[in-house]
Parts: sequence; C-alpha cells; structure tokens
Amino acid sequence: MKRLSAFAFLIAGLLMTQPAVAHHAIQAEYDMGKTGAFTGTMTRFAMINPHCRWFFEETKADGTKVTWEMSGAGPQALRAAGLVRIFQIGSVYEVTFAPAKNGANVGRVRTMKSPDGKVITLFHEDPTDPLNN
Amino acid sequence: MRRPIRTNTMLAAAAAAALWFMPADAAQYGQQPQAAGTGQNAPTPRTPDGKVNFSGVWIGGGGGGGDTLKPDEQGNITVLSKGRPCHPGQECKPGINFERDSGVRQRMDPNLPLYKAEYWDKVQDLDVNGNFKDPDIKCYPEGLPRIGAPSKIVQTATEIIFLYQNKNTFRVIPTDGRAHDPIRSQDLTYYGDSVGTWDGDTLVIDSVGFTDESWLAWPGYFHSNNMRVVERLRRDGNTMTWQVTVHDPDVLMQPWTMTPVTRRLNPNPKALLVEDLPCEDRDQDHIATRERG
Repeated sequence: MKRLSAFAFLIAGLLMTQPAVAHHAIQAEYDMGKTGAFTGTMTRFAMINPHCRWFFEETKADGTKVTWEMSGAGPQALRAAGLVRIFQIGSVYEVTFAPAKNGANVGRVRTMKSPDGKVITLFHEDPTDPLNN
Repeated sequence: MRRPIRTNTMLAAAAAAALWFMPADAAQYGQQPQAAGTGQNAPTPRTPDGKVNFSGVWIGGGGGGGDTLKPDEQGNITVLSKGRPCHPGQECKPGINFERDSGVRQRMDPNLPLYKAEYWDKVQDLDVNGNFKDPDIKCYPEGLPRIGAPSKIVQTATEIIFLYQNKNTFRVIPTDGRAHDPIRSQDLTYYGDSVGTWDGDTLVIDSVGFTDESWLAWPGYFHSNNMRVVERLRRDGNTMTWQVTVHDPDVLMQPWTMTPVTRRLNPNPKALLVEDLPCEDRDQDHIATRERG
C-alpha cells in the first residue's frame, strides 16, 4: 500500500508539471552512441538559448580548414556554475563530441581539452548507458 | 540558412522602466520579504486597501552565489547533469532522456482541450511534427497561457505587473476597473490585452487580442486569434495558485480549464530574476527524427 501511494504520488507529481519550454530530444539531432573527435582553434563562444555553442576551426594535414560547431547545455547551467569565462578564444582544444546524425560538422560536445592539459567535461549522461542511444 | 537572434532587450528595458517609474506607494505594495512561514499556514499579506498582496518572487533560486564548481586536483572540470530523477538507494546515473521523459509525461496528461472534429488532423500533425512546427523550438514567445505562472509579481494600487524569467517577458495588467482597450483588444499579440478585476480575494485577469501563432501547450494545442484567456490567481499564505480557462469557440468544443499550477513564494529576500539570454534556433537544419519533449 505504501509502495502504491508512493507510485500514485510520483504519477500525480509528473502530471502536475507542465513545462512551458519544449525542445526536440537530443537523440533527434545527435547520435549519442558515437563519439567524434577533432583538434581545432576555438573561434567563438556563444551564450545563447536553448544551447551554448562553441565554434572551432580545424586545420587538416593537407592544410585545408574545416569549421565545427559544438552544442552544449543551456547557458543557464553554465552561468549557475560560474563557468562562462573559462573558455579561451584563439586556443587550440582537443574536442570529443556526439556527432550529428545528418553528417554535418556539428555535434553535442562531450569534452574539451585545453593546451595546458585540463579537461572540461560538459555532458549529460554516462556514454556507456545503452538507453542513451 | 541562419535564423536571426531574437533578443528581448526592448522588453527587458521596458520592464525595468516600468519598475523604475513605479508610483511611490509601490514600494509598500512590493515590500519583501513576506511574513515568516513557508506554506499555507503563513498569513496572507494584504495591501493597505485590503487586497491580497501577490508581490514577490514565485520561482526558486536567483539569490546569486550559487553552486560554483571547483576544478579537481588536476584542474579538470566536470559537469554531468542528472536528467532523470532516481529513487533513494538507486544508483543515480546522469541521463540524457529528460526530453523523452517529458514527452511521455505531457502526452499522459488526461486534461486535454477538446477540439472540434475538423481540427483533429491538425492537432495530430502538430504533435507528430512538433520538432519542425513548435514555435517554442523556433525561439518565438511562449504566449499566454503556455508561458505559465509568473516568475515575479509587482503589485500597485492600480495595476499588477507579471515578470517572467522566460525570454525576459513582462505583462502590465490594469486593475483600476477599466475595460479592454478597443484597439489593443483587436491586436495580434502573444500575451493579449489584459484587464484585472477582483472576485473577493481572487484576482481575475481577462485577456483578448491574441495572435494564432502561439500554442496553448506542448503537444500542438493551437488556438484561434479570437481566443479569450481567463486567469484566476489566489494566494493562501505563501502559496499561489494560478488557474487558467481558455475560451475559443472557433476551434474548441468547450472551454478548456487547465490543471491549476501552484507556486511557493521564494523565501530568499535577495532573490532576483536574472537576464535571460537571446534564443537562436541553430538546430532546425540538423534535426533528423521526430523525437521531442
């Protein structure tokens, strides 16, 4: 009975919450079961809703340049954590990310490693969890 | 194609100006913090003229000095958001399924607006294809009533001001007994022309003059531009209840009374609303499936 009450309370709580904001599921855009990587210069950091964006330029071995756009959590999460000023425009980062399903040079950032070897991990989930795909 | 950034700087500036030029008695109406107590047992504060005083911050947080993360010994910083609540004793892994969870939860809501039969296909289409049609995903204003209950209320003797954290939104609602403005009530806006009256201790807000481009709620519940929204606001101690009825005989079979929303007063006397940053839709070109939440 106690368990039933707790379940009913949970369901009631879920039903009573009607968020105003909506978004596509992260899986609608990114393949969360894969990890891509590149090394590139951070050219811009944009504090915008609904997701922060980091822009990079990667120079390939043959000298050609490729631009990347990484998406992260909403800006409010970074603001609340005091993390908005830690990114160095012009520095070279090693980046890992969940790639876009449509093959574009965009991704959901997992980690950014700065030249001094420090790793910034900004992600939602345990990448090994099969439910994430 | 890049879509333009939609800033709400003008709205924020107007809201700030409204607060700056507030009448002298507003300070008394908007005094904070409220009486001690955290729930319905606390006394319900009243204005000098005996009306229920709704002034206060009605969302959590905002006091500053939050959870600033510290780097670990190697200087690494890790932020793994927990996207799904877990039961005590359960291993609480961070999760990325909060949007999927939200979608299931919102479709489970038994309190639905009842549309005329000729609109059923449209409702279903908006639900299934919401990733490409939801105005919120495209960074448009939520509109009334989708915006929800106000984040902060400032009350004077002649008007009540609703401030929303979401997209720096504000509404100024006269409570001086005036009727709807004949021009503004024919406008096509996201929050309409609002007037407030008192029904005992309940503040009743009547709004008309809407665009038909906003949604009532997430699954794709649209409305016409002849919609009328009636909000009923009550305060019991430090608890506020916001109840909405949508009247739209053009598309609905009957008025839709939404499930009431209850908010607790933020007890932090330093609580502030902070600037919401611009919204820019950069995802639309890369969305590959219809999953949403």
